[in-house]
Amino acid sequence: MNLDISQISHPNQLIELFDQQGYVADLELATIIFLLFRLEKPLLLEGNPGVGKTEVAQVLAGLLDTELIRLQCYEGLDVNAAVYEWNYQKQLLSIKIQEQSDLSLAQKEEHIFGEDFLLQRPLLKAISSTSKAPVLLIDEVDRADEEFEAFLLELLSAFQISIPELGTIKAIQKPHVILTSNRTRELSDALKRRCLYHWVSYPDIHKEKQILKKHIPDIEEGLADQMTKMVQLLREMKLNKAPGIAESIDWARGLLALGYKEINAESLSSTMGAVVKSASDMEQIQNQGLDNLITRSEAQ
Amino acid sequence: MSQTPHYSHHEDLTDALLAFTQLAREGGLNVGIEEMIQSKRAALAGMIREPSTFYYSLKGIFCTNEEDIKVFNSLYYMFWQDNSGRAKEEQEAAPKARNKKRNTGSMVVLGAGNALEGEEDSHNTSGASAQERLQETDFSKVSSIDAQMLEELAERLLKQMSMRLKRKMKTHPRKGAIDVRKTIRQNMSRGGEPMVLARRSRKPRKQRLILLLDVSGSMDKYSFFLLRFICVLQAHFEFVEAFIFSTSLIRITDSIQSPNLQENLKRLSRQADNWSSGTKIGECLRYFNENYAKRLLNGSSTVIVLSDGLDTGEPLVLAREAKKIRLRTRQLVWLNPLKGNPNFQPIQRGMQAALPEIDVFRSAHNLRSLLELESFLASVI
Repeated sequence: MNLDISQISHPNQLIELFDQQGYVADLELATIIFLLFRLEKPLLLEGNPGVGKTEVAQVLAGLLDTELIRLQCYEGLDVNAAVYEWNYQKQLLSIKIQEQSDLSLAQKEEHIFGEDFLLQRPLLKAISSTSKAPVLLIDEVDRADEEFEAFLLELLSAFQISIPELGTIKAIQKPHVILTSNRTRELSDALKRRCLYHWVSYPDIHKEKQILKKHIPDIEEGLADQMTKMVQLLREMKLNKAPGIAESIDWARGLLALGYKEINAESLSSTMGAVVKSASDMEQIQNQGLDNLITRSEAQ
Repeated sequence: MSQTPHYSHHEDLTDALLAFTQLAREGGLNVGIEEMIQSKRAALAGMIREPSTFYYSLKGIFCTNEEDIKVFNSLYYMFWQDNSGRAKEEQEAAPKARNKKRNTGSMVVLGAGNALEGEEDSHNTSGASAQERLQETDFSKVSSIDAQMLEELAERLLKQMSMRLKRKMKTHPRKGAIDVRKTIRQNMSRGGEPMVLARRSRKPRKQRLILLLDVSGSMDKYSFFLLRFICVLQAHFEFVEAFIFSTSLIRITDSIQSPNLQENLKRLSRQADNWSSGTKIGECLRYFNENYAKRLLNGSSTVIVLSDGLDTGEPLVLAREAKKIRLRTRQLVWLNPLKGNPNFQPIQRGMQAALPEIDVFRSAHNLRSLLELESFLASVI
């Protein structure tokens, strides 16, 4: 799909476009995405794991028919892995080759610190794209160190990166930036103020059913109904790891693959591994009694 | 303020947005002129035509975390409310925000007590300041209502702390002095050109942290929170050994390892039949020295005793055993919850006996004092 964002005048259009891409968005999310385009600000999505934060970026890239550049954050992520790195091997070889030439030292130096020797990492790649503004996904930014967060500030506010040997590189096409966070730690105020903010919560029964049907079109109405009720109940149970949307989709696939038409004690116990991901949670559920649980979810 | 702030008091959009930004800032949101400009741009992009899109736009621009949303909802409701065209959802959100405010009120009274509960205007007690006070509250004075809030706060802050500690310990794979010998060796196949640089850095010494928690009757109110503190340390550092003691000593390192903390605490309280009874610190330390010290203690380990020093045993035994521990470790630390009291004197028999052997003597009576241990722990681990 090739979309001209200046053509969009109302968030409702975005809801429809997202729907075509298989993503169920509400008006709130659509409004924020609309502002992401209009205000050219990065968007920070926070929420529990498995509520579809990362998918927003993927859908957006699909929608705009542009490249999705993804930076997965982790503890100890540094500039060399996120922005750029010199290709040392190539530089050494080049020095060796030029040993016999009569270029001056300054010329040689200029040569080996040219763009040919620069390895682009995601952030640099995102701002040096010339053809079309890419979607830059900075995933799980709460996992990166605070120092790295500080480094992101320049990129997120001015869309530029300073490389000591080359100078400042300014974005030709401003990328659409989406940051996600699971809130394992609080992000700095400076970073948050540069972003639009959206809290992604678990969907309600109605929306979850819509999502399920979107992903698995041949699921039967009755089963989808039972499943969403059960998942909602599981979320209320204060498990160590509450099931996200990703889990319920997996679960539905599992149930269908095994040919189950409804949720009963048998189908639940054989497919529970798809929704419940820790031994103590399993125990908690077994203790409550599967039949009991099913009755309770039906009563909702 | 003579009248409630409302958009209808302002002549144009810019004025109204300015006033709302001002209101939001007074309400505790971290917003300024930048947010105001952004919201105006959003409004002009067509978002103002519908109440719901306008609400969502401002929400996305003004809020920076989940807690902000509650404050924002009540302010938005007050300022932009137009009796006709409001989305139902927002009306539901606003009362919730008010309830929240009342809750923080009780925490304020519980804390330093310099704010009145009846104070009900736009200068609401922001979540942050209530949390500040809760951090200062002595564990023994926490009411059961606030205990849960404190627990949540403690869990979050302690988790952050352990994360920071963990980072400090990491050595950078690309840092360290170049190992010339290894570099030449590794690059033989490349004709001796140093393409790949081998580096060496000092292998971090594994240092142990041994925690001994007093769970006797006098420590009753503190031991629950201190145990939580230990659990957090334990969950994030592999080399923490933990014990609880009152009249006898129990090793709890393994039993607090499973992820469900609530379950652990329940199980532990069942396990320790002597939980909340008399204290024989000296005897327990002797038992520790006899059974665990040789295995656990080496020159670089640190022992932390969490106890109020109210000992019913023989002080001489305590002094002797404490000395034994000190000689085997790098540091012996004593955290005493009673030390949080400004009038505290270490006159308890047990405390006096142990004092000469202690390297570090600090308080551990509230969340703040536990968090302040971070810098100390960073140097230990």
